[in-house]
Amino acid sequence: MQRFVARSGLLEGGRRRAQSLLRSQQQQQKQTRYFAQAAREKEIANDVLPKMPPFDYSPAPYTGPSVDEILAKRRQFLSPSMFYLYKKPVNIVEGRMQYLFDEGGRRYLDGFGGIATVNCGHCHPDVVDAIVSQVKRIQHPTILYLNHAVADFAEALASKMPGNLKVAFFTNSGTEANELAMMMARLYTGCQDMISVRNSYHGNAAGTMGATGQRSWKFSVVQSGIHHVLNPDPYRGPFGSDGEKYAKDVQDIVDFATTGHVAGFISEAIQGVGGIVEAAPGYLPAVYKNVRKAGGLCIADEVQSGFARTGNMWGFEAHGVVPDIVTMAKGIGNGMPLGAVVTTPEIAEVLTRRSYFNTFGGNPVSTAAGLAVLKVIDKDNLRENASTVGAYMKDRLTALKEKYEIIGDVRGRGLMIGVELVSDRQKKTPANAETLHVLDQMKEMGVLIGKGGFYGNVFRITPPLCFTKEDADFLVDVMDYNMSKL
Amino acid sequence: MAFRRQIVRATLQNANGNNFAQLARAGGRCLSSASPSSSAAPADSPPQLPPFDHRPKPYKGPSAEEVLQKRKTYLGPSLFYYYQKPLNIVEGKMQYLFDESGKRYLDAFAGIVTVSAGHCHPEILKAIVEQSELLQHATTIYLHHAIADFAEGLAEKMPGNLKVVYFVNSGSEANELAMMMARLYTGNLEMISLRNAYHGGSSNTIGLTALNTWKYPIPQGEIHHVMNPDPYRGIFGSDAAGYAKDVEDHIAYGTSGRVAGFISETIQGVGGAVELAPGYLKMVYDTVRKAGGVCIADEVQTGFGRTGSHYWGFETQGVIPDIVTMAKGIGNGLPLGAVVTTPEIASVMSQKIQFNTFGGNPVCSAGGLAVLRVLDKEKRQQHCAEVGSHLIGRLGDLKEKYDIIGDVRGRGLMVGIELVTDRKEKTPAKAETAVLFEQLRDLVFTVSESRRTVLTV
Repeated sequence: MQRFVARSGLLEGGRRRAQSLLRSQQQQQKQTRYFAQAAREKEIANDVLPKMPPFDYSPAPYTGPSVDEILAKRRQFLSPSMFYLYKKPVNIVEGRMQYLFDEGGRRYLDGFGGIATVNCGHCHPDVVDAIVSQVKRIQHPTILYLNHAVADFAEALASKMPGNLKVAFFTNSGTEANELAMMMARLYTGCQDMISVRNSYHGNAAGTMGATGQRSWKFSVVQSGIHHVLNPDPYRGPFGSDGEKYAKDVQDIVDFATTGHVAGFISEAIQGVGGIVEAAPGYLPAVYKNVRKAGGLCIADEVQSGFARTGNMWGFEAHGVVPDIVTMAKGIGNGMPLGAVVTTPEIAEVLTRRSYFNTFGGNPVSTAAGLAVLKVIDKDNLRENASTVGAYMKDRLTALKEKYEIIGDVRGRGLMIGVELVSDRQKKTPANAETLHVLDQMKEMGVLIGKGGFYGNVFRITPPLCFTKEDADFLVDVMDYNMSKL
Repeated sequence: MAFRRQIVRATLQNANGNNFAQLARAGGRCLSSASPSSSAAPADSPPQLPPFDHRPKPYKGPSAEEVLQKRKTYLGPSLFYYYQKPLNIVEGKMQYLFDESGKRYLDAFAGIVTVSAGHCHPEILKAIVEQSELLQHATTIYLHHAIADFAEGLAEKMPGNLKVVYFVNSGSEANELAMMMARLYTGNLEMISLRNAYHGGSSNTIGLTALNTWKYPIPQGEIHHVMNPDPYRGIFGSDAAGYAKDVEDHIAYGTSGRVAGFISETIQGVGGAVELAPGYLKMVYDTVRKAGGVCIADEVQTGFGRTGSHYWGFETQGVIPDIVTMAKGIGNGLPLGAVVTTPEIASVMSQKIQFNTFGGNPVCSAGGLAVLRVLDKEKRQQHCAEVGSHLIGRLGDLKEKYDIIGDVRGRGLMVGIELVTDRKEKTPAKAETAVLFEQLRDLVFTVSESRRTVLTV
């Protein structure tokens, strides 16, 4: 890491000298990289490097626009804030189960799942079948007319829910689902104050941006009526894994920052964007009790943790609570733009006071896909697989933590795993540069994973739930290899 | 909706069935575009649908009663539906829908102004199916050509410097984003929207929406609802100047003098196909820009050639907005929305991360691009103009004939027929509209969700 030493030693007078030193170091590194690449190829050939598990599938030949053409169009016609991963972005043109293919037909192991979204596997035949047969019949009549698809899906979804959670509203995204949930809580209770957790992510519309607890996602617009409480973060939080201590902060907020009555509390069982942070044990039961005492509703945001990802159907199950409202999206449709809010009949009744309507929500194609996903989760035993393969991968990663000082924490549940990199285990100083570097190198070797956390130093591993032990081995071995080169 | 059904039940019991049946028959013949025009007395036999060479697949799924029962149990009491005996729509082809028994209906509502190219249009289907079999979803953190090609295709349809595209999943999401952009770009808070407008149901857009049926009692601050430039019911008739002055007044007396922006539909959809008085937008855009605000055109219903005379509704008023939002027709039914704006306004969004997981996914982008191509190739805008003016002409004749028709308005294939019991007082004919609506169940129409009683096509 000589480059970082050189930069930190810059002084006014020695600036030019330092710059030329930097240039020669960069040239040296370029050469080193070239040799490293060549050496790596040799190693692959000689069977030294980890090998991707075999997969009997050939992608279709790609004849579309090149990377450069796409980049140029993105720069010209798409949002300037639209980012992409990697120094050399990947052009993903095809997907099959837990693998993705680029324009050259190169196969990658998808360790990110389109951000915890493709739970069944890319282009899972059952899901594609459902989509294609429905789209050929009718795409969109609106739910002002009857159609069995939305009703069948709602029924099936309700059957996966505990307690009295059995009325569903369909939206097109997690943001829309959380917006609706927040409005329902406010209407039901007649109170405005909502409580959410620091480091959370709930969406990007006005209300949900307020609930979101990370500054990078919050624009300077009015986001009133939200209180952000201490994050029950076992790794970075002041009370470690003592959930009840963090819960006291919620009571404090209720007592001192609100009228004493609140609309509700919203949280993710495992924070996704926040870096795979699972709520400390005992937190949710204590908070749910406090919030309900203050008349509020408990909303579980299952957008990332839902649909078997954690090994249970829902993330909140591992915490022994039953929420009043559950929101979901991402995995619900294996990638179809679909979201949902499930609640009790009593709470659902509030919307009858006026009219709420979602034009696309509940359309036959999205709901047919949703129903197919529920069936695949059962048929392909995805809960069991997520639990088993997830535990296996977490063990291997924990062993890796013994090996490398830079791994500060390994956490998560099922196939929602986080690996946090720190340059100092005591101070927990985020090791961003290394995170980016290893992420990039892993891509070069055919493994795609994600990045997150407030400091951007957490690997997010949320693959399709058909991930195998062999895939897990490959992922961990590739990570191991690249960390050894740091 | 429940209230409406009560009216229908009561009226059907009391009304003179003949009158309404006749009206229904005449209306039906008139609105089927292929039939010959005639201002003679209505025939005794009901009009026939134009012929259509497509046989729907036999339906083996749950019956209407079963579906209705499940809906009541699992979809909540607030989810409403049309008709005393709701339709169980199981298949669609171009402008027709089919119920469980294979009966064909003329779809004059298009899934609420959404199915722009036609149900299950073969070219769009092909694009969707092919892409679904290749890659449904990876997000924009990786590259993919579909989103880039679609963004380019959309930008090409835009005037001025409108060329940066954001993809979202619905009209509400699009308007939420547009509102946020306006506030960030200008640094001001106040937004202005029209009374009788509909812009969405999420936290911010519910504030812009100005129809009480759609507004829940939650905080919706810093929004000013100005006089609606409604040529039929507005106090200044078609004189835009009077209405435009109201915007000036709101700014001068109700704000700091500086605003974030102004948003409007060119033809209010949910509000009952109300077209803005001519010349209105030019004046208002001027006023708003002088107060530092940006102008947002909500093209969720009017976009993509629907108005016939122009591709975008705002073009009918001779203005160029700063931000354009769209959804509904953009994907022929795919859950898709977009916001198009200038590079200057887009640049404020790069202060933070703005990301939409599903937005711009390959399937919706491929579908959206196919829609653009189909609409061009099949010259749909021109078709809307031709059939639309024919339709409005025939409805105008009907208005001469029946006192109950207070107003016929609209443009292209976005037409409204307002029923009143008194042409002077313009008293809404609620009961009659409800009854007619039911009678016209064979042609799929809708009644707008406003205080008024408008059948919208």
